[in-house]
Amino acid sequence: MVKKKKSLASPEPTPGGKVGVYVCHCGGNISDAVDVEQVCAQARRVPGVVVARDNMFMCSDPGQEMIIEDLKSGLVERVVVASCSPSLHETTFRNALVRAGGNPYVYEHANLREQVSWVHHGPEATAKATRLVAAAAAKAAQLKPLDPIRVEVRPRALVIGGGMAGLKAALELAERGQAVVLVEKSPFLGGQVAQLQELAPGGETAAAVIGELAGAVLQHPAITVYTCAQVEGFEGYIGNFKLKITRTSPESAEYSEKLERLSQSGCGPGEYVPFVGLMPAAIPESREEIDLEAGVIILATGMRPYQPRQGEYGYKDFPEVVTLPEFIRALAAAPAAGDTLVLHGRHIRGAALIHCVGSRQIPGIHEENPGGYLNEYCSRTCCAAILHAANLIKERHPQTKFFDFYRDIRTYGRGQEELYTRAAANQVLFFRFEAGEEPQILQNPDAKGSPLLVRVKDVLTFGEELEVPVDLVVLAVGQEPNNISDLVEKMKIPVGADRFLQEVHPKLRPVELSVAGILLAGTCQAPFGVGEACAAAGAAAVKAAAILSRGYVELDPFVAEVDLSKCTGTGACVEACLADGALAMVEMEVGGQKVQRARVNPVMCLGCGACVAVCPENAINIQGWTLKQFESMVDMIVSDEYLEQA
Amino acid sequence: MGSAKPGGKILILAEDACAYPGADATGQGHMSYPADTYILRVKASVLFPEHFYLDCFDKGIAGIIIMSCGAETPYPGAYDALARRIDRVYALMKERGLDIRRLRLTAICTVCTRAFLKEVQQMHDLVSPLGPPGSERPAAA
Repeated sequence: MVKKKKSLASPEPTPGGKVGVYVCHCGGNISDAVDVEQVCAQARRVPGVVVARDNMFMCSDPGQEMIIEDLKSGLVERVVVASCSPSLHETTFRNALVRAGGNPYVYEHANLREQVSWVHHGPEATAKATRLVAAAAAKAAQLKPLDPIRVEVRPRALVIGGGMAGLKAALELAERGQAVVLVEKSPFLGGQVAQLQELAPGGETAAAVIGELAGAVLQHPAITVYTCAQVEGFEGYIGNFKLKITRTSPESAEYSEKLERLSQSGCGPGEYVPFVGLMPAAIPESREEIDLEAGVIILATGMRPYQPRQGEYGYKDFPEVVTLPEFIRALAAAPAAGDTLVLHGRHIRGAALIHCVGSRQIPGIHEENPGGYLNEYCSRTCCAAILHAANLIKERHPQTKFFDFYRDIRTYGRGQEELYTRAAANQVLFFRFEAGEEPQILQNPDAKGSPLLVRVKDVLTFGEELEVPVDLVVLAVGQEPNNISDLVEKMKIPVGADRFLQEVHPKLRPVELSVAGILLAGTCQAPFGVGEACAAAGAAAVKAAAILSRGYVELDPFVAEVDLSKCTGTGACVEACLADGALAMVEMEVGGQKVQRARVNPVMCLGCGACVAVCPENAINIQGWTLKQFESMVDMIVSDEYLEQA
Repeated sequence: MGSAKPGGKILILAEDACAYPGADATGQGHMSYPADTYILRVKASVLFPEHFYLDCFDKGIAGIIIMSCGAETPYPGAYDALARRIDRVYALMKERGLDIRRLRLTAICTVCTRAFLKEVQQMHDLVSPLGPPGSERPAAA
């Protein structure tokens, strides 16, 4: 399954030498603050450096050609480029090494723009640049050619979660010719979107979007859907995940309301039912176990709406206080026309909308939720959703008044600001409150009037305390991640402080987890709108399809490597290892004797180096990031020898 | 801002998934900070054994800031292991009479430019009067 790719390097570089240093002016971005010629002059005095050149743009074709020619001529065997951040051009220059017939891993990058010329000026900038280049050269001198880790890929994707993101990801993958298994915990497809009616800001119906998407998924021959299904067993790595899926009848009360609604609707399997979703198949009568192999996994485990505590804004103390999802459901049963909205037979003359319920909670100001956490993030979708609902009602029932209590209006996306403008045009009345001075919901002492009073210190009227009688209070509740602690534990995937799953990098690798081969789609990652969730799902699907269609993956070889000439078999590294299955003690013959020694499974290794720190012999290191290399870098940072000779 | 000379060099171990891009973001904002700082890009700071820090001080590094990803590390469990190790390093520093403020464990995110600047400035302000490692009195710890 795991193959070592044929070595990219030929011949083997000379140990500890022939480093070429290439310093970029970056069109003045670097050379305006750093004396590039002086850096080159001093770099030539660093041990192991055979040439140091500069170029106006090292990333340009002539700049790269300069490196390639030096490699091809045999003048240099290892390369340091000192330029902008490695996040921009490290790959560019590694590829230049490959084009020169070399190994991409005998390369080191010195960051002279973001971390020197843009933050320092004058002689100290040049001095610092020189030391960073010397440190990079010291590391480069010790680099050895590495081979990417090649892993064959099982030609199937597993999508976990049957909400919008999961459905979208499954369909996108199938349309790219990939086999997909979609696993959904509940009996239904559609997720939280099935709990809505019209979607902000465009007004599409949940029925239409779920119906179209789920219909296409169920009809696609490349997609297998398992509902009432959960992942019980997980092992493996990118390309070769092995999972045990179990299908069981859900616990009696868990989905009873939805099943009852489905039964009352008269709809059959595969038909969409509002506030239920779409049940593609009958509930299994007995436990089923399915063994599954997959090359990639997409997590689309979704979110749940924040559930306010009893007494939070009068929730559950007053029947007139409801959450936005509850309000939407009540609206579906309300008469569609009439001057005033009527809910459950009650005329709603005035309704309060309260923003940021369960979002943007501040330590020391807001009470912790029952789990002992605060949702400090903005849920991003609630402002648009509640204003959309207000507009909808106001335009159908013009006599119903809306009073909107907000901390900030965050109608941030395309078509959302228009919702705010439209709400103002619809005479929704806005009040602004400060964090810690949230509106209070009180019983109206005037028995003849509306049942509730909303008391607020209104920032817009310079702190005036106002009381607004209302018949209804709607809480714009935020999004929370679904509890998937079992999956997190099994898959060893990172979770952020906000309890959403944590991508590798929010901008550069936004749908990848640090566990290779596991991707993110939708609101398991962060609060998203439906459009954003589908966009993320599409991105994850394309990423997954790229892995599957290639048939194999090549992983960076920055993983642990045991030096058997030093290993004494203490087992400390295995004990310290953070990735199950990455390190093990195995029996092997050394010097005619059977001994226990550490062995790395490179595909499972995260490359974190937890093992490196605990080895008393320094017999284990991360390839390309060894302890000795770091020590040499420090040596060059503190050394003045090459400076004194300049 | 500050000069590289008076207090000695500050080593920053910046984790690749968070603090290193955070340092880049600081540069992209052209936010200046003392030049006596040398950033090493590391995958995870949990790689470094206790003796690495002590050796750095022996070599003349005046202060070390570990800019980790904190609890948001892409390597589950790495931060806890790192924190435990740093506790042990502090104990060893005390034994050697080194001021333990010379070593600081922080969490810096990809956009934590202000936190990055604050940490760097604080360490610079600390090591400038403190001088090279070993110059403090043992009681300083």
